[in-house]
Amino acid sequence: MTGWFADFMNHPATYLKSGWLQISVTNLLVILLMLAIFTLAIFLPFPKDKNRHHE
Amino acid sequence: MSTNKEAKAEFDAAPWAGKTKRYDIVKEGTIALVFVFVLTVVLSLIMSSPDEPPLTFKGWAVSNPDNLYATAVQELAGTSGTATYGGPYNNASDGLNVGPLWLQKWAGVTHPIDAANDFVITPLSTQVLAPEIANAVATWKSAADSQRQAWATAYDDAITKVEGKLSDVAVGAYGPVPVLAQGLTDMAKSGALDAALLSQGGFFQTDNTKQILFFGDGAYLDDAGTAANLQGGTWGMMNETGRYPGQAWLWLYSFWYQIPPFNNGESKPIGANADAYIMVIMGLLSLGLILIPIIPVIRNLPMRIPIHRGIWRQYYQSQGIKRRKM
Repeated sequence: MTGWFADFMNHPATYLKSGWLQISVTNLLVILLMLAIFTLAIFLPFPKDKNRHHE
Repeated sequence: MSTNKEAKAEFDAAPWAGKTKRYDIVKEGTIALVFVFVLTVVLSLIMSSPDEPPLTFKGWAVSNPDNLYATAVQELAGTSGTATYGGPYNNASDGLNVGPLWLQKWAGVTHPIDAANDFVITPLSTQVLAPEIANAVATWKSAADSQRQAWATAYDDAITKVEGKLSDVAVGAYGPVPVLAQGLTDMAKSGALDAALLSQGGFFQTDNTKQILFFGDGAYLDDAGTAANLQGGTWGMMNETGRYPGQAWLWLYSFWYQIPPFNNGESKPIGANADAYIMVIMGLLSLGLILIPIIPVIRNLPMRIPIHRGIWRQYYQSQGIKRRKM
């Protein structure tokens, strides 16, 4: 498979390092995305049931 | 316990008194499955997959022939990582232990590997060899074990003494070892060693243990792992080649390898047996996760950290129960 995005993905990753902690930018983005989805799942209200307005 | 707390505890323990609604878990599961399937296909089409060129013995022999040569000598001398590993490949050492638990030794030799024969002599024997190399193979095969050991160890020591610079190795009684190592290096350069090692299995060969172990004994695989940030000491367990996301959920397994004493292989007993100790730690933590419902204090955490009240806040508000301060 080729394409600009596939080519982009196959380049060496950027790593963030602080002391003994090291993480790739991609892994960090995935973790932040997971946390964001978890936060949204908690704080977004449940969808209203259109057929049960009286409750 | 205050009256208010008692009331909340009683309320939390009471059967659900709020609204109910018909719910089709199969429908939700099907939607989730289809969603993830479509997402996977779309992302695969857009992002493709890691496309690292494979590591081969030919690549090793071309990029660093002296290292392959020296590693072949170590295999013959029985000083390589594989030859001295212990179970499940051989009985050369007792392997890792956790206190009195000699896990590696107890598991025994389930995948026997004779480094000298499997990595050097047998692959060479599959080829039509130049007379000089054929004679070296014959000499090695006909020699006594003690003689083989003396030749190979002397040469291995001599190479170690000059830190791998082969041109500086002193003349000595190395028997057929230099010719065997050169023969294997030349064989690797031609690409034949890759095929020879692969053909030691069945017709449909899926077991690459020998190739990986041989790679691991030299610098080729190690250097590639370092270049791709895949070393265990730098959270490599979590990473993938290129810019692809790795196995972020392995962060806790990987974490232990970054801190003392686990990150110091010389530190006994824990650092030297880090793999075994970390396996035990993660086993205990996993057991703790499974047993959360029956562990005192831990099982009450949802009461102290009431995330569920945030999720079902409308219900709790409708019932007149305010959210507890977190």
